Amino acid sequence: MRKLLKRPDLGIIIGCLFIFALFTLYDPAQWFNWGTVSNIGEYTAILGLLAIGQSFVVLIREIDLSVGSVYGIVGIAFVGLENNNVSDVLAFVLAMLLALLVGLVNAALVIRGKLSSMIVTLGGLFFYRGLIYIITHGAVTGVPQAVRQNWFAQLLGGHSLRIQNGFLLLLILGFLCAVTLHETRFGNHLLALGGDPASAESRGVPLGKVRTIAFALCSLFAGLSAIVTLTNDPETSVSLGTGMELEAIAAVVVGGTLLTGGRGTMLGTILGSFFLTAVRSEIIALGAPPSWYVSFVGIALLTLVTINTLLLKRLRISG
Amino acid sequence: MKRFFTHLWLWLSLCLPFAGAVFAQDDHYRFVMVSHVGPNDPNMIWLTTSMKTFNEKYPGVKTEYLSTNEYSLQNFIAILNQAIATHPDGIAVPILNNEALQPILDKAVESGIPVVAFNIPDARPVGERIKYLTYVGGDEYQTGLKMGEFVIDQANAGKVPKPVKIMCANHDAAHQGLKARVRGMTDAMKKIGVPVDELIIGSDPAKARSIMQSYLSTHKDVNYLYSLGTISCPWVYSVADQMGLKPKLSDKGVTIVTMDDSPNSLEGIKDGKILATHNQGFWFQGYLPMEILYYYKRMGIYPLNDVLTGPVIINPDNVDQYIKSVKSIIGEDAYKKQLTW
Repeated sequence: MRKLLKRPDLGIIIGCLFIFALFTLYDPAQWFNWGTVSNIGEYTAILGLLAIGQSFVVLIREIDLSVGSVYGIVGIAFVGLENNNVSDVLAFVLAMLLALLVGLVNAALVIRGKLSSMIVTLGGLFFYRGLIYIITHGAVTGVPQAVRQNWFAQLLGGHSLRIQNGFLLLLILGFLCAVTLHETRFGNHLLALGGDPASAESRGVPLGKVRTIAFALCSLFAGLSAIVTLTNDPETSVSLGTGMELEAIAAVVVGGTLLTGGRGTMLGTILGSFFLTAVRSEIIALGAPPSWYVSFVGIALLTLVTINTLLLKRLRISG
Repeated sequence: MKRFFTHLWLWLSLCLPFAGAVFAQDDHYRFVMVSHVGPNDPNMIWLTTSMKTFNEKYPGVKTEYLSTNEYSLQNFIAILNQAIATHPDGIAVPILNNEALQPILDKAVESGIPVVAFNIPDARPVGERIKYLTYVGGDEYQTGLKMGEFVIDQANAGKVPKPVKIMCANHDAAHQGLKARVRGMTDAMKKIGVPVDELIIGSDPAKARSIMQSYLSTHKDVNYLYSLGTISCPWVYSVADQMGLKPKLSDKGVTIVTMDDSPNSLEGIKDGKILATHNQGFWFQGYLPMEILYYYKRMGIYPLNDVLTGPVIINPDNVDQYIKSVKSIIGEDAYKKQLTW
């Protein structure tokens, strides 16, 4: 029990159980409808992949505000390559290399340039979005129908046993990232750096390397999320990913990861993404305007963070 | 005497080019179009293309096109203020929001900058509305109303299902023109007792899809989807298709109507995915405000009434004519590039 209470994601576990019970009692027909489950699963996968990447950066006391624009530019690069007869595997590799490059540039500017990650990635948010407008002149085509039937596009955007592959991918990658975070040397370094950089450095943690990998992973996950979206849904737009950086950060924080770094779980991040998506879906399904959701995110953020903080304080008092 | 005339001729020949330049300077105006139709909106090409045509006709006039890159009233106001601060010879501006823009534009007019509204008018009566010279654009309320009436006519003719409930997908909550379209559609549908819902979907395709799926899964009586902007019509169609709502035009399933004569809307009609769209004369909305400002500056004249450039309903009967016209204006390549189906 004490181990459970110590979990940073306890707040979101309670939150998810609460909404599950609430919607089961209040609107069971809609809540257990396969269409609803599928819709929630689809967007949870998109947001969850973005948020997992963001978690790596938040865990080391940094932030990445460029993920929405990176999501957009990588997605548009992928579509552009597909439309120029580049094979889908190669298009995927090249688009992901672009994501990696963005992550490395962010890391280099933060580490070598000694700039705040908020400034660097805020610049990235505008720069990459502007680049999308310049390159596309406002119009982008979707992934061609024929390409979406290929095995590779199906692997990312198709379905297995009626479940979206994007959602399965989220679960698999979420598990692997959780193992990486809690069971590997790199994960240990990551948490140590987030907990206390000076102490981590004194214990030989290669701060630069850990930071670089965290930023690279963040951009890679943003890129992957975009490609999963576009192989599933044909539509694209230059507004792809607009505002998603804040939603991803909200999912991470709601999931129990501290913005001060060093404490958080991948399960919490995935549950945070599920929580935000499920509540929005139900708010709309129950007939409330979708704009209510925006206020709700604020309330949920404050409530769950307060629960987490109170639990943490209580544990500290009781030793 | 001969010397005097020689000197006079020399002076005159030296002065004439300057005098010419002084007269020509009357033509050297700088007009700024401040727009919410930015690189994120495929309709931008209409405005910039028509302004280019204006520039070819009036080479002495400098025109600038400033726009937001996202649907944001706040950012729009920021660039509008920035444009006014450069004291141009005239401004063309859409009235995204009466209350927000009134103090800014009235002040600009008082400081001597003539303003022409385009694309979205101030819907209040003349005298109460912002002090712009005139408005060039579609009538947003009429746009929704005419589309609603067209739907009713088609349903009465048995070509499409009778409307039961309509959902209007709005990608920009702050756009009062889109709100006016919804009001027009609502008033048209009131005549036959059909309810109309407005759903704010935002401009990110993945989120918009998720919102529409949530809504449609519980509002099963909705059988008409009104995409309020060309950007969202392929999203609306694809969501309906994936949910098994049979959006392809027939006497069953859901029926989709949209806005603007963009390649997406036109090809949607050709493919039988969309019942109708509308033309609001976007080309004129870029060209005419510049010309009105020009003649106002030059001769002090301007149209006393608003210049309505739309709406005209585009349907399978006249879509070919519009495809031809759009291709001739924006070019075959740009037409293909804008297709996102």
